[in-house]
Amino acid sequence: MKKVIVGTAIGMTVLVLTGCANKAVVSYGDATAVETTDINFGSTDLQKVATQMTDSLLLSPVVGTLTANNRPVVFVERIKNKTSEHIDTESITDSVSTKLLRSGKFRFVDMSRVEAAREQLNFQQKGGMVNPNKAIAFGKQVGAQYMLYGNLSSIVKSNKDKSDVYYKFTMRLMDLESGLVEWADETEIRKTRETAGIGW
Amino acid sequence: MLKPIFSKFVCILVVFTLSGCATIQFRDLFSGYAQQMEPVKLQTINGQYEQALKQVPERDISDTNYVLVLLEKGRLKHLAGDYKASKHYFSQASAYIDEQKLKAKFQVSKGIQNIGAIISNDNAITYMVPDYEQSMMHSYQALNYLYLDDHEGALIEIRKANLVQRAALKNNFDTINDAITSLQDDVELDWQSISATYPEMEDVIGKVKNGFQNAYTFYISAVLYEASGELNDAYIDYKKALEIYPDNQYLQHDVLKLASKLGMTDDLTKLEKRFGKYNNNEQKSIGQVVVMYDQGLVEERDEMVLRLPVYTSKDEMRFYSISLPVYQQSNQFDTSAQLDIDHKTLEFDQIVKVDALAAQTLKSQLPSLITRQVIRLIAKEKMRKKMSKEGGDVGNIIANLYNLSSERADTRSWLTLPQSSNILRANLTPGKHSLSLKVGGINKQINVDVKANRITLVNIIATGNHIDYKTVNL
Repeated sequence: MKKVIVGTAIGMTVLVLTGCANKAVVSYGDATAVETTDINFGSTDLQKVATQMTDSLLLSPVVGTLTANNRPVVFVERIKNKTSEHIDTESITDSVSTKLLRSGKFRFVDMSRVEAAREQLNFQQKGGMVNPNKAIAFGKQVGAQYMLYGNLSSIVKSNKDKSDVYYKFTMRLMDLESGLVEWADETEIRKTRETAGIGW
Repeated sequence: MLKPIFSKFVCILVVFTLSGCATIQFRDLFSGYAQQMEPVKLQTINGQYEQALKQVPERDISDTNYVLVLLEKGRLKHLAGDYKASKHYFSQASAYIDEQKLKAKFQVSKGIQNIGAIISNDNAITYMVPDYEQSMMHSYQALNYLYLDDHEGALIEIRKANLVQRAALKNNFDTINDAITSLQDDVELDWQSISATYPEMEDVIGKVKNGFQNAYTFYISAVLYEASGELNDAYIDYKKALEIYPDNQYLQHDVLKLASKLGMTDDLTKLEKRFGKYNNNEQKSIGQVVVMYDQGLVEERDEMVLRLPVYTSKDEMRFYSISLPVYQQSNQFDTSAQLDIDHKTLEFDQIVKVDALAAQTLKSQLPSLITRQVIRLIAKEKMRKKMSKEGGDVGNIIANLYNLSSERADTRSWLTLPQSSNILRANLTPGKHSLSLKVGGINKQINVDVKANRITLVNIIATGNHIDYKTVNL
């Protein structure tokens, strides 16, 4: 009896000691693989949203006529995050604008780097290091004709057995001169997670 | 003679280490959390937040009190004005809580913890952050985001808080019902004698109508929504706060104002019947100041010993003593504060009494607490009998000593929260103003920079005699 107790005691202690120290494993994976680590907004959602939005925009007949003879200049405002999660929405707009640029139909001005550009121009004009004949002058940049903006909202519900999250992503393209919204589309995502029955 | 005792202790040790992946420090088993936090509270009352931070016990992620320590640190960093660090601690705590919520319904590790808890006390169980603490955490996190100039982030935290609040109502009714039904199956208890000896805590809870929801969070939420122009959302949250504090004059005014602004004519007539006519005397290009005044520190859970009759299997009645957490009548200062604005003296109105929320939470946990205590009592008594049989007098004495010293109530709760929070709201002309706060003989000057058509949020924190404030333009 005593041996059994001591035996199990030692066995269990060993179990605990090994059980708590898991070895870390590093490996490479597919960047576009479906990711389901948890229910929060993840890489798959980002890719899905960005792809669907750009496809819809590029295939829309209105945009087809807009881009028939010229490449309109667009600026991305931002995606307003109305969910209950801290999501890097700039990453979504980055993906969308990159895909649009790649299509060769649009040109972009980047509002997030205006300050850096101004600093560089200041340096060229006033720094005394750059040949004044070749320095880029102020007031020569091209203004945007269209504004791309959107909203990301969510509805979250959960109980003991399951949690459900629904995302709705809306994007719009506005003609800055007329104020008309030339294109709009939305993407929906629903994710459900059922709580495991038994676990550690 | 000593060997069987030794093996028993090996067993106990194994149980402790097994709960293992969720460890508990021996200090936590034999001295209550509230007792350990005493120096932290003292330093906080004197406004020495950084020193208080050093006194907070260090706990790693596997510890049962890990999340509690994160909350204390987050709050102290917030008080000290280090909003970045505070944000970091709160987001860690938030991630931990989210993970807890997603855990399996029946957890093996929890079962083991419960075995550990049965032969020791409730401190061996992982601390579950109650809903009111979660909503306070998200509110402070929202303030952190605001002070770090991220309004969108603040609104996200507010939405998180509202999710907690919505769940709070549902959860609490469920747990009370579950606990009562499970009790009837498990143990035969003389509930009458328990309710006769256990204090009512009514004077702590007071007249709070809805004990599970937190009007403070609703109010911050409403102010932020109002500032960002989402008046409809603001109106809903003002109304929810008003439901909890119907006598708060500022809330009444806010609800009336938004009802008239949004053209809610039906609501407006109903509200005007309750609170009187609303006169829209708002001038153009005027600024608003919203003052939130946090007072004191929340009460800690005391430990009380209850003599309880328990029927054994032979139908004998024996008295045992168990220790339970309880909130005694608050003995902290509760002096009313006044604020002088432009030669007018205004009174604050209460928006949350954290003590009451805490006491209400404890009350809802009570049935399951007592059940666990009784099961524990039986287990410990069995252990004592066995040890006295196998180890003679020495075994009996050791078992008795262990039982006595391990009989501790679970006094864990977030202790650096304020005792209460009060609000005040006024219109001011744009420009620099100096408000003067009067609390129990102390005068404190508060400088605010009011902007036209904008809300200026002033958060005054008075922990004891030390008064700090922070202003932000929304």
